[in-house]
Amino acid sequence: MEGFVAKQVHDYQNGKISRRRLIEILTLATTTAYSGKSAGAAEQSGLDVALVNHLSYTCPDFRRAADWYSMVFNLDQVGATARDVALPFGKKDEKPYGVSADDVPLTHIICRTRPPDTPASNRLPRRKARAVIDHIALTVADFDRERAKAQLAAIGVKNVRDGGPFSVYVNDPFGYEVQIAGLGVTAICGAEARATCSDKR
Amino acid sequence: MERFIAALVQGLDSGRIDRREFCKSVALAAAVYSAGDAAQAQVQRGFKIIGINHMSYTCPDYAKARDWYASVLNMKTEAARDDGKRANLMFGPEPGKGGSFLVTRNPGSVASGSAGAKAGGEAVIDHVCYTIPNWDEARVRATLEAKGLDVTGRDGSLHVYDPFDYDVQIASTAEENAFRR
Repeated sequence: MEGFVAKQVHDYQNGKISRRRLIEILTLATTTAYSGKSAGAAEQSGLDVALVNHLSYTCPDFRRAADWYSMVFNLDQVGATARDVALPFGKKDEKPYGVSADDVPLTHIICRTRPPDTPASNRLPRRKARAVIDHIALTVADFDRERAKAQLAAIGVKNVRDGGPFSVYVNDPFGYEVQIAGLGVTAICGAEARATCSDKR
Repeated sequence: MERFIAALVQGLDSGRIDRREFCKSVALAAAVYSAGDAAQAQVQRGFKIIGINHMSYTCPDYAKARDWYASVLNMKTEAARDDGKRANLMFGPEPGKGGSFLVTRNPGSVASGSAGAKAGGEAVIDHVCYTIPNWDEARVRATLEAKGLDVTGRDGSLHVYDPFDYDVQIASTAEENAFRR
């Protein structure tokens, strides 16, 4: 426990975490210790997410959206119905990048058209969210910003914006913002910070 | 090739590409096809996607969302990137090796180059589904219920709401797989 606290204080004093965050971490750690569990156990009490399974993208014309994502990211369209279609990030039987487990499928986007208040699959009314996924960032192979801009221009994508030196932003046909980045843009080294980041994975 | 051409035509019809660019693209595709490598033409024009890099999630209280995703889905917070207005939560493979992250942000916290959250957009990501490996129905349900969540859905494909009523789906590969729709 002491070592854990010392590490947090060190991070706080070196500006790595805020005062509020320090308080939150130590409160959690101390209350967990009091109940007889380790901080590690508390962190592991949830479910281990392996990957995004899919993003459910709803828009006025799912075919138009799907064609755009297919064109820009070379995605196949599978399982089309009258109201939706799936775009997997690879071919059948391929494994997701960086994943060795056999029970983790390729991530896919489902492009669909349906009213926003359509009941969920459980037939209960869908709640109105007070949060929004305002953009998604997709990792692509061998990313180079200037080359990416040329590629996008060649396929007619307009309004391409720099997202720092290591990514670009575009809008899909319905104005949804999509960031395109390489593997080097991570939670540790964001697109803006990567140039000065010590983590060079 | 047909799909590629169809996409080009749609681009032309919608004004995304002009006539000149359309002609150049078709001519290029034809040339490559005649060389016996039509598929390569597509690959060179678009991107080879690896996966989701991150999702930017804007909500009234980023810290509350951060703590929920860390607690329920064991996402790992990156303290150095928590500035009191946003936080990065990692999951999946290692960063830089296919890993993804969720950015929880307060309104007004906008990434450089991004337009940020806008109201009234035509498109929305109405839910995100996460894969849980080694799926054990009883264990997954018990874990979620222990967090005080109202769990709905069917076996192998469950839904819960996060603190801001955002729909979060949790699934096994058996129930949610693009090739088994």
